[in-house]
Amino acid sequence: MTFEVRIKKWHAVASWTWNAGDDVCGICRMPFDGCPPDGKYPGDDSPVVWGICTHAFHLQCINRWLQSQTEQKCPFCRRQWEFKQAVVGGEDESEDGAGT
Amino acid sequence: MIRLFSVREKQKKDAAAAANGKTVKQSAGELRLQKDISELDLPKNVSIRFPNGNDKIMNFEITLKPDEGLYKGGAFLFTFAVPTGYPHDPPKVKCVTKVYHPNIDLEGNICLNILREDWKPVLSISAIVYGLTYLFLSPNADDPLNKEAAAMMQQSPAQFERVVSQSVARGCSIGGEFFPAARGDRSG
Repeated sequence: MTFEVRIKKWHAVASWTWNAGDDVCGICRMPFDGCPPDGKYPGDDSPVVWGICTHAFHLQCINRWLQSQTEQKCPFCRRQWEFKQAVVGGEDESEDGAGT
Repeated sequence: MIRLFSVREKQKKDAAAAANGKTVKQSAGELRLQKDISELDLPKNVSIRFPNGNDKIMNFEITLKPDEGLYKGGAFLFTFAVPTGYPHDPPKVKCVTKVYHPNIDLEGNICLNILREDWKPVLSISAIVYGLTYLFLSPNADDPLNKEAAAMMQQSPAQFERVVSQSVARGCSIGGEFFPAARGDRSG
């Protein structure tokens, strides 16, 4: 038995996340998927970045801290801060770097 | 998703407040401090007070009553002044109860690493409270602000212990300087 279905209307729903595990930024204590104090909108306006030490912050928050310091260290572990390249699709490191 | 909605709801609330012309927009530092304070889980021997009212949170007072160690039985009052650059800049903390302590001078300046060189923006008010508690449990004579107190602590620990507990409990003069009993008021 077969029957024909006609789609008249559809409504797409999507969700997103920065996938940052721990759900608030350690500096501003706002959700990673929300905004830091100087970000207007969640998402592209409030990117989340990782250091090679695996700690994550809002880009605005970590930048402000690093700019005020002579030594560039992670505020959590005090390891030398270096931006980690973004991993795209769970594969190896790609050229598409977050926050570089 | 839920978080997105709460962000939007907050924006709505802010917009409504702005329309009423009632609220001055909170600074980023104040917003972060608000979170610190709402998550503050103070032990029984520590209390907090907002002398300028609950909506002026950038200046507040903490009273610490050490429940162990040389300073047990005393009450010490600290003033916190939180800068608008918080948490990128640390709060300014003073001990306004006069105390004979190697790491606190007679003006109430406190030598605690996380208040200066080791401050980092992931720390919070509660981290400072723990730091202060620790400072009263184990004074550090290697990094003194009150050099006399540090010297006595190192050279004659028994005498140091005696004068500290006497000054805390009843008040006494040490080296020509009077230290009133530590009752948690402004005696600095």
